[in-house]
Amino acid sequence: MAEYIFAFGQCFEGKLHPASLEILTPLREVADRLNKRVILIGLADDKEKFLAIPELKKLLADEVWYIIHPNLKHLPDDLCERVLVYLAREHKPYGIFFPATKKGLSVAPRVAGSLKTGLCAHVNAFEIKDGNLFLLRPTYGENIIAKLISLTLPIMATLALNAFPIKEAEKEPLIKEIKLPEDFDWSTKLTIKNFKPAKKEPSRLSVAKVVVAGGMGLKSKENFQMLFELGKILNAEIGGTRPAVHAGWVEADRMIGVSGVSVRPKLYLAFGISGAIQHTVGMEGSEFIVSINIDKEAPMMKMAHVGFVCDAPSFLKALLRKLKAKD
Amino acid sequence: MLIEFPLKEEHKIMIELIKEIGETYIKPYSLEWDEKEAYDPTPIKALAQADLFGLIIPKEYGGLGFGTFEMCLAVEWLSYFCAGVSTTYAASFLGAYPIILFGSKDQKERYLPSIAKGEKLCAFALTEPQAGSDAFAIKTTAKKDGDFYILNGIKQWITNGGIADIYIVIALTDPAKGARGASAFIVEKGDPGFVVGKKEKKLGLRASVTTDLIFNDCRIPRERLIAKEGMGFMVALKTLDYARCGAGAQALGIAQAALEVSLKHAKTRVQFGQPVYQFQAVSHTFAEMAMRLSSARALVYSVCQYIDSGAKDFSGASAMAKCFATDQAMWITERAIQMMGGYGYMRDYPVQKFFRDAKCLQIYEGTNEIQRNIIARELAKWIKV
Amino acid sequence: MGRIVVCIKGVPKPGTVKVDKETHTLRRESAELILNPPDRSALEVALRLKDQANFEVIAISMGPPNMVPVLQKVYALGVDDIYLISDKAFAGSDTLATSRILARALSLLSPFDLVIMGARSIDGETGQVPPETASLLNLPSITYVKELRFVDGKFIAIREDDFGEEEIEFPSPAVVSITPEIDYVRPPSLKRLLSLKDVNPKVLTNAELNLDEADIGLSGSPTQVADVFEKTLVSRGEIFEGEPDELAEKLIEILKEKGFLA
Repeated sequence: MAEYIFAFGQCFEGKLHPASLEILTPLREVADRLNKRVILIGLADDKEKFLAIPELKKLLADEVWYIIHPNLKHLPDDLCERVLVYLAREHKPYGIFFPATKKGLSVAPRVAGSLKTGLCAHVNAFEIKDGNLFLLRPTYGENIIAKLISLTLPIMATLALNAFPIKEAEKEPLIKEIKLPEDFDWSTKLTIKNFKPAKKEPSRLSVAKVVVAGGMGLKSKENFQMLFELGKILNAEIGGTRPAVHAGWVEADRMIGVSGVSVRPKLYLAFGISGAIQHTVGMEGSEFIVSINIDKEAPMMKMAHVGFVCDAPSFLKALLRKLKAKD
Repeated sequence: MLIEFPLKEEHKIMIELIKEIGETYIKPYSLEWDEKEAYDPTPIKALAQADLFGLIIPKEYGGLGFGTFEMCLAVEWLSYFCAGVSTTYAASFLGAYPIILFGSKDQKERYLPSIAKGEKLCAFALTEPQAGSDAFAIKTTAKKDGDFYILNGIKQWITNGGIADIYIVIALTDPAKGARGASAFIVEKGDPGFVVGKKEKKLGLRASVTTDLIFNDCRIPRERLIAKEGMGFMVALKTLDYARCGAGAQALGIAQAALEVSLKHAKTRVQFGQPVYQFQAVSHTFAEMAMRLSSARALVYSVCQYIDSGAKDFSGASAMAKCFATDQAMWITERAIQMMGGYGYMRDYPVQKFFRDAKCLQIYEGTNEIQRNIIARELAKWIKV
Repeated sequence: MGRIVVCIKGVPKPGTVKVDKETHTLRRESAELILNPPDRSALEVALRLKDQANFEVIAISMGPPNMVPVLQKVYALGVDDIYLISDKAFAGSDTLATSRILARALSLLSPFDLVIMGARSIDGETGQVPPETASLLNLPSITYVKELRFVDGKFIAIREDDFGEEEIEFPSPAVVSITPEIDYVRPPSLKRLLSLKDVNPKVLTNAELNLDEADIGLSGSPTQVADVFEKTLVSRGEIFEGEPDELAEKLIEILKEKGFLA
């Protein structure tokens, strides 16, 4: 009992969401330290399509348990809850973890509510001390990290997107189908009337190799727009902080941070960004960070590999002038 | 500014609300609307949901039953954000006044509730191609035909043409009687024989819509007549008496915005090693602006209080408020451009828009030349020799 | 006429909240509270349904007494009734305890057709309360809804999921959470603003909700903050100071060195 760590494998049409693979990385470490087995739980409507998922044989779990039923096609929240709660009650796992995808964020709370257990959100690191598992997440709009603990089992959390790299296993996991009892209630109150698949490519920003981002230090929408010129020259995608999005300087789908996009580019240029934690968790994995800020002590300046103490709009104008002259 | 009027709690609440509406629905878009000469119904929808179209509509018809003072406060603050939007708003009151002042119980019940909710906008149609300042030269006719009137003619340059549902049209029921032969009618969008002309291209107030109205055997039921036949000019002139202060209030809002923008600029723009505000040519200009704006404001609101106190005869008073305030706004906005130099001339900055918006105020709702005629006439009545 | 209950939250105005040093939770009673911005969208969705089909809209909020001004402003937007769910025993509740409290309050306000909430709060940012509350009430939940339609007596939600856009039909009662990216939210009504001082929310304390002490507040919260620490940042790179021109030149040099510029 309590030897399993469940990880929610979010699948659709024979594809496994990459976030479900990301979360296996830290869970693997936790499982090794605490002597548990990682089980990826896959809910799908088509057995053949599920077994054909390319990453299945190399993922970092000890076992893959899959459950097949036509009603699971669109992973309706109420049905997913019922299936996962059944498994939780049967196997009494140590923990149940979800990626912080929309689906994960919608299903995990329902499961936690049914099991009357705690649920932590947007966890981006674990710590183990004296056999206890601590969950770390940024919090409360201040530059602080909270270290949370769950007083109940199973320990549940949604794990922040793009916070962990995907790793492959040496050994193939044991893959088995779980059959639920004959009288299991497969109904769902949600009816999908229409479904429009998303465009093939994920957000270009989230996979960009070079990101140019702006914050309030740019002072105006006109100044912010200059970043797009720089982006063309550097072949970069443009991002912004939450305050910049709220000010209407850039669209919401370019917001980098805890409730926006997470990026891991080779180069990250931050113009006028102070480095509040809700933003930095979205880009701290960047390989080379350059920060331009009038405040030498700003958190982003400390985090940067190179910092320039300068008024962001003036620096940006000078930079563009010089780059254009070189053409 | 340098003087603060003591305001009642309810006025402060109303102004806070209008500032919130201005910041949210108007400020981010006003330059774009001006540039594109586009009418956006969104701020009008917001004003309607905020109950602001009911400001002067009597309570029994769903309005707030406020007076000219409150109407001017609202119009002034809206104009601070965009005079194009405040023109759409204020012109709707211009169209509502005839029903409020002269409408029958039936007409009030039929029209005022939806006007108060902002569901229907109004327009006021007096001007014609050959009848501007010479309003009595109108030629549009309204011929009685059994239970109907048939309207024929053209109205020119009507604010809210096409976007209003309710149009107050002054037409001649008895051309032989000249001015005494005019009557006021309620024409509704969709009435047969009534079409709206093309949208005019204007120098300023570009977020508001101005069109011609064309009546071609437009047939309306006789219940649409306001008051009695022959009372058309009485209705028109009394309406204009009430609404004039609104134009004055628009002037105050525009001038305030121009003063603030140019003053901020003068304090930060450094030339010859110091902010240009330090040069007397500049600071004295601002002192002049402040005096003119404050005196215009004092005049407009004291006239409002005079009207709201129940004055019977206030044509001269409201003409003074309109004429003086709008002339000051023109002076202030012109100086504001000058104080900002090149920045005042560029369309990326709002000051040039204030200047262009202010110009119309000296012309519509009776040109300032006509206003001076009215003031002189009333002044003459006042001294007996 | 149906009933919609909107659950709103007051969040501390940025820069005004203090963290309790002992429990590491927010000291909400001392902060200046504003309406959680996504809840404004939730209210707008509810009020549009009221305009369209005459639903009764009740706004409820779990919070300390300084939540009253926020609820009054919500009343000014046009809701029919406002409730404050407040009790010292509720303080320190995590999302499970909060969901228990809301679920109990909602059951006192039933029958209702819909519960609408903002998808997440800008302070906690968990987004857990809507589905968790739904689960406790045994109701379906539809999250991150960007458009809610009421057609021929049925509710249809349009939402963006991870793999595409879904159009979901669902029966009432249900819990819906709304994403904040809504095109237009209405302003408050002047008539209501003028009479606001006479409007007070009805208050529900634990005397009315009758929840076990072990299920609410800190004692009812299975997730606890063990510690908080500031992210210590030690400057790891070089810092350059100077005029924009020379600094820009320096950056171009570095980018060339690293191969980001030809």
